[in-house]
Amino acid sequence: MTAFNASRRRFLAVSGAVGAGALLSSCVTQSPSASGGKSGGPVTLQSNLSSPQAKTSMQQLVAAFNKRGGAEAELNTVASETFRTQLPTYLTSATPPDIYTWYPGSVAESYAKKDLLLDLDDIWGKPELSGYTDALKKLCTSASSGKKVFVPTSYYWWGMFYRKSNFAKWGVQEPKNWDEFLDLCDKLKSKGVAPIGLGAGGDTPWVASAWFDYLNIRVNGATYHRELLAGQHRFDDPEVRKVFDTWDQARPFFDPNGTAIPFQDATTALLQGRTGMMLIGTFFADAAPKDALGDIDFFQFPIIDPKVPVAEEAPTDGYFASARSKRADGVKELLSYLATAEAQELYLKNSSGTALPTHPDAKDAGTPLVVKGRKLIESAADVTQFFNRDSSDALQPTADTALVHYLAKPKEIGSILTTWQRSAQKIWSQ
Amino acid sequence: MALIGSTRRSRATRVPPVVLAFVLIPLLAEAFWVFWPALQGFYLSLTSWDGLGAPKFVGLGNFSEMLHDEVFRTAAINTVLWLLLFGGLSAGLGLGAALLLQQERRGIGFYRAALFLPVVFSLVATALVWQAMYQPDGLINNVLEAVGLGSWKHAWLADQDTAFYAVIVPALWRQVGYVMVLYLAGLKGIDPALYEAAKVDGATPLQQFRHITLPQLRSVNAVVLSVIVIDSLRSFDVVWALTRGGPYHSSELLSTYMYSTAFQSLRLGYGSALAVVIFVLAFGVIASYLVRAFREAD
Repeated sequence: MTAFNASRRRFLAVSGAVGAGALLSSCVTQSPSASGGKSGGPVTLQSNLSSPQAKTSMQQLVAAFNKRGGAEAELNTVASETFRTQLPTYLTSATPPDIYTWYPGSVAESYAKKDLLLDLDDIWGKPELSGYTDALKKLCTSASSGKKVFVPTSYYWWGMFYRKSNFAKWGVQEPKNWDEFLDLCDKLKSKGVAPIGLGAGGDTPWVASAWFDYLNIRVNGATYHRELLAGQHRFDDPEVRKVFDTWDQARPFFDPNGTAIPFQDATTALLQGRTGMMLIGTFFADAAPKDALGDIDFFQFPIIDPKVPVAEEAPTDGYFASARSKRADGVKELLSYLATAEAQELYLKNSSGTALPTHPDAKDAGTPLVVKGRKLIESAADVTQFFNRDSSDALQPTADTALVHYLAKPKEIGSILTTWQRSAQKIWSQ
Repeated sequence: MALIGSTRRSRATRVPPVVLAFVLIPLLAEAFWVFWPALQGFYLSLTSWDGLGAPKFVGLGNFSEMLHDEVFRTAAINTVLWLLLFGGLSAGLGLGAALLLQQERRGIGFYRAALFLPVVFSLVATALVWQAMYQPDGLINNVLEAVGLGSWKHAWLADQDTAFYAVIVPALWRQVGYVMVLYLAGLKGIDPALYEAAKVDGATPLQQFRHITLPQLRSVNAVVLSVIVIDSLRSFDVVWALTRGGPYHSSELLSTYMYSTAFQSLRLGYGSALAVVIFVLAFGVIASYLVRAFREAD
């Protein structure tokens, strides 16, 4: 396997050499303009938004920025999985790309702690960002340095999505609480429909984490959830066991193919009425045909314990920049632009339009679905991100293994949780 | 004449600079691109590293962790099983196909091409095709349903009892054609006079196979074995594309486990230690075989 290792290194070294070559040539070609006030060519924006709609939106966003004059930007779209595994390499290299699409909170914090992220305090003081909510300000501040390191541009919500026409056909309504939810599942099952779709097979096993996240924040609360993911509690604690006891009540209603198909296929099953509903983020709409979009609705993940403050999962997306960027001025110019209402509206107009802008003045798509989603998040007492964003990308695979295992062999939950704790311990102790 | 003679002598004793350059430059490139990273891999296997900070030296800590790592044990057992099943079956089936298709008959080229065709596709493309077939409502389940074996329907890749074997099939499907071509070339090299002599002596086809074909194929066997061992130890793409080693590590190989620990869990030190184990295994199996083969040849 050293061959594999070596070829990866070789690839890195070659791409490094190519990058260095590009830098040299850009130094040569850009030297006249450098004297004209720019430093070292266009700002590179490394993007993992590779689905066709999102990619086009990004291209148009960058084109609009370049049209304004001032600093120039260059978009570099990388496949999501490659982006994720290469991110540490990008950030630690001597000549890194300047700006990255990524997540705020503990994910950004792991890089901020190592001084790899650019300090963005000054642009947060400017008008583009000064109106952002306190929750967002807090989310984008590094806990270790107290500096802002992230610029959020959109967020989306998770919910139990279903097709209005199918619910009408089956004669069922949105449930108000956990018991009504279980009744609804029962009813759907009696009609020959798999009540709950999942989509944790193929390369999207992480979808199952949404169920863990939501059950944990409904049963134990958002604070406990965050502490657990930060390593302050153990996965074999009785509190976590309670999460799975609750899950046991809903498990018989899951689509038996739920762990065999990726979420895109699960979306198709939902739209075709083979499954009744699905806990998913609004991004699934990217894969839905446009004519089905108007028929899609969602309800809040049912309340289980009314005493627990209601939290919702609303991951925020945006950008951070490398601390080693040679073009800090251009970087800040682009980030300030991305933070404006104008840029966010432009992005939403061209994408599937189910995300919400972070700028308080930016208009969302305005569809009933988006209005309902916005209300859901704004009325929540607390907002969580998602399993990997509240913990780390490194911890996510431990959850994938544990949860898929649980769904197949629920009786082995005791040993599953012990194993989960053991593998999580290895990540935390690094 | 004397001049030419002296140049000749100096050519024989001193290596001309051009030849030296032809040897040294590739060696330097090889050292820089291959040996140095490999050595670095060995060093990293003695550290704990998350890819961001400086590597922390932990001595043999990673290797002693492996002793208590259940996933490593599963991956190691699966790798050996893969080596035996994938290796054994692809050698057996490849030899069988070669014996069947060695005679020049009309249309035989079509069958050879058909068997060799999967080799042309990249393994990831192969995996995608098979993934579609293994889907819960994919081709395989539909066929089972159609022939009245509906009770055999299965989520092949999502069940820990079947995932490993389901992943071997596409790998075999691809490898058999390759091994067949190697054996075909070997069979072509056997002197027909041997068979004629055997026929005169009244040997049955089975005896001909046992006493002529097999011994004559010995040199091809060495090649096939090396190819199979190397291919099975580096089997990664097909498993990764189909199951990523899951569900819950049931189809985990050392290679997929190395990749996921290093690049997903960002434990690059432990990942490098796994890479070292794979290297030692591959090197050990092949070196011991080659030593034996050369000794027999002497």
